[in-house]
Amino acid sequence: MKVQQGCNSSDMGIPVTTEEELRRNTIITPEDVLGLQKITKNYLCSPEENVHMIDFTRFKIRDMETGTVLFEITKPPTPAGGKKHCDPNAGRFVRYQFTPAFLQLRQVGATVEFTVGDTPINNFRMIERHYFRDQLLKSFDFEFGFCMPSSKNTCEHIYEFPALSEEIMREMILHPYETQSDSFYFVDNKLVMHNKADYSYSGGP
Amino acid sequence: MGLLTILKKMKQKEREMRLLMLGLDNAGKTTILKKFNGEDVSTISPTLGFNIKTVEHKGFKLNIWDVGGQKSLRSYWKNYFESTDGLVWVVDSADRLRLDDCKQELSALLLEERLAGATLLVFANKQDLPGALSKEAIREALALEKIKSHHWCIIGCSAVTGENLLTGVDWLLDDIAARIFTTD
Repeated sequence: MKVQQGCNSSDMGIPVTTEEELRRNTIITPEDVLGLQKITKNYLCSPEENVHMIDFTRFKIRDMETGTVLFEITKPPTPAGGKKHCDPNAGRFVRYQFTPAFLQLRQVGATVEFTVGDTPINNFRMIERHYFRDQLLKSFDFEFGFCMPSSKNTCEHIYEFPALSEEIMREMILHPYETQSDSFYFVDNKLVMHNKADYSYSGGP
Repeated sequence: MGLLTILKKMKQKEREMRLLMLGLDNAGKTTILKKFNGEDVSTISPTLGFNIKTVEHKGFKLNIWDVGGQKSLRSYWKNYFESTDGLVWVVDSADRLRLDDCKQELSALLLEERLAGATLLVFANKQDLPGALSKEAIREALALEKIKSHHWCIIGCSAVTGENLLTGVDWLLDDIAARIFTTD
């Protein structure tokens, strides 16, 4: 897994891209999204592009020092045929609400659980980018590789919290939901899913 | 500078290791993975896919893969061999009836070209059960002494109590580190 903290894509030789540019592409690649400099305003692909029926069924965050589960949501599997009646963006967005103490944690474990439809996936890759306003806080890049047909899989990233300045933390607490993330999922280097999340650290809704 | 040296240096920079945990179904792979990472192990269901943990341990970035061991899933194991630095073979020491099956599956893995460079750790798991065979008995049943192709070690452990999990993983990391991260 590659983790970058607060660095600029241009430092790593990846061409800078914009959301507007990418929207014109028929295929969006990992390199394309690694070149983005800020959170996207809209989803970069439609739910219909998820032809492998990848379904995220659980998100969990725990504090590694105490083992306390700080956040957990599970989602029942999407019923077949029932899709038309739902909001197409349901399940693509998660809102996290934390207290200011969350920013003081040293090490957290973030788990996702996902199911895969009845065809195997050869190369599944996730890129997740966290921003506060237009500043990149963290970028995860992880290759799951092969996923078995009809499988249920989990992945927990256990990581040190990025070191943030007191000033940024204060701003993040004062401005709920201005901390945001884009999660991009690729099959064979083609974007097939895009999920979003936002975060509050102010302790209330 | 030879290619191998360059590759070693690249890996050294990232200090990233990929561990692949395999074994028959119900051997305790997921329980080991969870216990090792301080998670609750009271309710574990059969793995119908994989469980991954990425974690830092002793200055290494570990990517630990636990892949389901049911018979119908074993043909998919090959998809996870690539770039594996350490193979963890988990044995249910109390499952005497399937020891032969367990031996066959391990022997087949050791012939795999893409696992040729991997260090092998055998966990003789479930030592907390009264009917469990000792690690010496498991070593014999799996004919580990005959393995010349891989560095290997067998450790008796209990995923439920956590006994010896750290000992095993640390041995594995030390062996891998000595092989890949030491430049000549």
